[in-house]
Amino acid sequence: MQQRVSLEDRQINRDLLRGVLEHPLWWFALVGFVGLVLLAGVISTGYMITKGIGVTGLNRPVMWGFFITNFVFWVGISHAGVMISAILRLTQAEWRRPVTRAAEVLTVFALMTAALHPVIHTGRPWRLLYWAFPYDFSRGIFVNVRSPLIWDPSAIFTYLTGSSLFVFVALLPDLAVLRDRTTGIVHHVYSVLCLGWRGTPKQWKLQTVAGILLSALILPVFVSVHSIVSWDFAVATSVEAWHSTIFAPYFVIGAVHSGVSAVVTMMALMRWLWKWDKYIRPEHFDALGRLLIVVSTTWFFFFFLEVLFGIYGQESPEIALREMQIFQWPWSMLFIIFLLTAYFIPVPLWLFPKVRRSITLMFWTSILVNIGMWLERFLIIVPGLARKQPLTFSWGTYHPSIIEILIVAASFALVAFLLLIFSKVFPLIPLFEQKEGQLFAKELRVGRKKVPAVIREE
Amino acid sequence: MHNGHNGEALAASPEEVTQDILRKHREFTPRFKALVAVLAVLFLLGVVGFIIRLQDGFEHRVKWGYYAAVVVYLLTTAQAAPMVAIAPRLAKANWRRPVSRAAEMFGVVGLFNLLLFIPLLFLLPSTEGRRTIWFDGPSMSPHIWDTLAMVFLVLCGLAMLWAGSLPDMAAARDHSSGRRQGLFAKLAMGWRGTDLQWFLIRHRIGALASLYFMFLVFTHFLIASDFVLGLVPGWKDSIFPAFQALSALQSSIATMLVTMFVLRKWCGYERYIGLEQFWALSKLLLATSLLWFYFWWSGFIIFWYGRQPVEQNVISLIISGPYLPIFFTTFILNFIIPLVLLIWNAVRRSILGPTVVGCSILVGTFFDRIRLYVSAFSIEDVTAHALTVVPPAHTPDIADILIIIGALSGAGLSYALATKVFPVVNIWEIKEYMLLRVQAAFHRMEVTILAKPE
Repeated sequence: MQQRVSLEDRQINRDLLRGVLEHPLWWFALVGFVGLVLLAGVISTGYMITKGIGVTGLNRPVMWGFFITNFVFWVGISHAGVMISAILRLTQAEWRRPVTRAAEVLTVFALMTAALHPVIHTGRPWRLLYWAFPYDFSRGIFVNVRSPLIWDPSAIFTYLTGSSLFVFVALLPDLAVLRDRTTGIVHHVYSVLCLGWRGTPKQWKLQTVAGILLSALILPVFVSVHSIVSWDFAVATSVEAWHSTIFAPYFVIGAVHSGVSAVVTMMALMRWLWKWDKYIRPEHFDALGRLLIVVSTTWFFFFFLEVLFGIYGQESPEIALREMQIFQWPWSMLFIIFLLTAYFIPVPLWLFPKVRRSITLMFWTSILVNIGMWLERFLIIVPGLARKQPLTFSWGTYHPSIIEILIVAASFALVAFLLLIFSKVFPLIPLFEQKEGQLFAKELRVGRKKVPAVIREE
Repeated sequence: MHNGHNGEALAASPEEVTQDILRKHREFTPRFKALVAVLAVLFLLGVVGFIIRLQDGFEHRVKWGYYAAVVVYLLTTAQAAPMVAIAPRLAKANWRRPVSRAAEMFGVVGLFNLLLFIPLLFLLPSTEGRRTIWFDGPSMSPHIWDTLAMVFLVLCGLAMLWAGSLPDMAAARDHSSGRRQGLFAKLAMGWRGTDLQWFLIRHRIGALASLYFMFLVFTHFLIASDFVLGLVPGWKDSIFPAFQALSALQSSIATMLVTMFVLRKWCGYERYIGLEQFWALSKLLLATSLLWFYFWWSGFIIFWYGRQPVEQNVISLIISGPYLPIFFTTFILNFIIPLVLLIWNAVRRSILGPTVVGCSILVGTFFDRIRLYVSAFSIEDVTAHALTVVPPAHTPDIADILIIIGALSGAGLSYALATKVFPVVNIWEIKEYMLLRVQAAFHRMEVTILAKPE
């Protein structure tokens, strides 16, 4: 059932600018808490850089652990923005309106956080320069452009640039509203940021065209980012279970699965924290739930193909690895948790409209998905490396150290911290989208019933 | 036609729409009779080709390569075409309404293809001693499961077609007399349009549509695994079944674009099938063509970059070796032409542009099926550990050519005959759309207001 609420423009401004113009106590408490976790992560990173990578659990043959798992996880979360904003904008889905900004901002912050991980992972961050940028031409030492580890930063920074532009273009009308409601230096900052927005027909047209163009242009970048991340693994032939042709679309759809789930989590929190019940309604969770059923089932099909064709060759090293992943403690426990949380608990629940319309249940199931998707990346990366060598005496295992755990926890705190700061400076729900939605909302009488209707955009 | 909508049809009264579509449905025009006659003759030629092929027996699988290619081609194009009704219906896109029946009617072609599928079962080797997705299961597992998948897909397609046609069958019953009325009364199953009947039809169509989609993907997964991957030793390719399913989605749109063009141009349905349908489908066609490249590239780069000898041989078999010209043709027809043409809005928003791209994809997919199935059927020792020698290209003989002509004509013939049982344009969905849509003034513009019922 659609639960439309009729709202005046003035009320929309008042409600949605509450996050920027009011200063509730919970906001300071939250910023303080995530700031502390972040601080612990910063100190841990500093300690690791000082003492060396030996303070982590990384050791031969498992040289990629929590940091790279977390890197892939955050790149995955960053797929929320484009999926929600670009695709729903291009398909003119009305329910996108309250969701877009949060998804786009989550993309930018998740991507920034993800990009930090390879830097931290090097242990000596300044050495990243040798790895990713050309240096020492006189000795003929160049970056290996044939390595996916070089394609990665290019894709990520292109995506980050595109996503930031995407957020900025969609912010312009709202920045002008903020300009008109502030004074002093803040007013000047918003004046500069809104680029002289006056809301003329030409400006609206340009903003709409820019949004559509960016939506279309960013889609290939969006696909390329996680494909290239997947090729970091899949082009390698030395690690069993990594050399799989399905990896690129499997990673992309997995990223969308976890990204859209993260948007659901964020939407629920926004509704609770800022009391935006009139804007973020059960029908929006219902639509996201339906989308998630399709996305997660496609992801599960690709996962099935990946596992099936892993063992299809019936080669003993791969069979041994899969046995370890699925049947050996503690990997078996992680594998079961992964399957249950990423698919078998949430998806059957989402089939029920009552669940999709329950904000609490959607919140908790979306959290479950991301627990599962984090474990999925961990189970792809670590067991494969632990069994990388053909001789059993060179097999190994991996136990994360407290330093790695703190840095991973800090990455979640960093995204939360940045989002909270953003909410203090910019509205998390686009004001102009809400107002446009109100203008387009109509009602038609069909027979004896009044049916919600919309003006169709051409 | 204005604003990209089917304005003319929507301006008529619901009764006019019913009368008009049913009149076309009843008519046996000389053009239709000539088409049926030509298709029947060509189909008979195919039967002759099939008899010649039967003389060779089933020992040499390579001789049946082109036969397998054409069966899977029909699975990829005609049997995937109902997706053009299913996907937009699940997404509640209104542009589907005039073309949903035309898409669902390809379920009838599925029945014809099921008959063509039977000989393939005799060509599939036992699973003993070779790598298959059935591992140590019963040696006849692929035979049983592939048959069940095909049968369920066809049954589901027919059930979906029939369930979605009930209101139109009732309309045909109420607008005819004599034996014809008796036939449609039986097919309409007592449809009176009660609230309960409408509730049931919506739920049945929804459930059957979801089932059909799942069966289609599952059937492609099985056929691609058992008839291609399983026959080429050492070919371990997790994306291939998904690539074939994706190719089916691309080809389904191409099939429908060409069908819509024919219905518009030569069958008198231009009032109903307009720019809106071509425009919407061309956007989807561009998206699926980009995905076609993406799925192909995702598989290719892993093999090419890995430099493993087995994988290099597989690349040689299906891409760079004896089938290189066919691969290039496919690549140009399925990706380059759609990309170069469909990136332009002017081409997407036209009738001819998307139709030309649709034809290109239909031809490209045909070559692709030849590349994959004939090459896989050329491998003699399917129990080897790895592909060491790439067999030469197998060229078609006269029997193969007759079989291809006959199979395609048979598919066309079954579709043409089905249009005289089911109205090819969905009457009740168009009439429903007329209820849900009004033109109104909005400031200084005239806009469309669209009701969005649950």
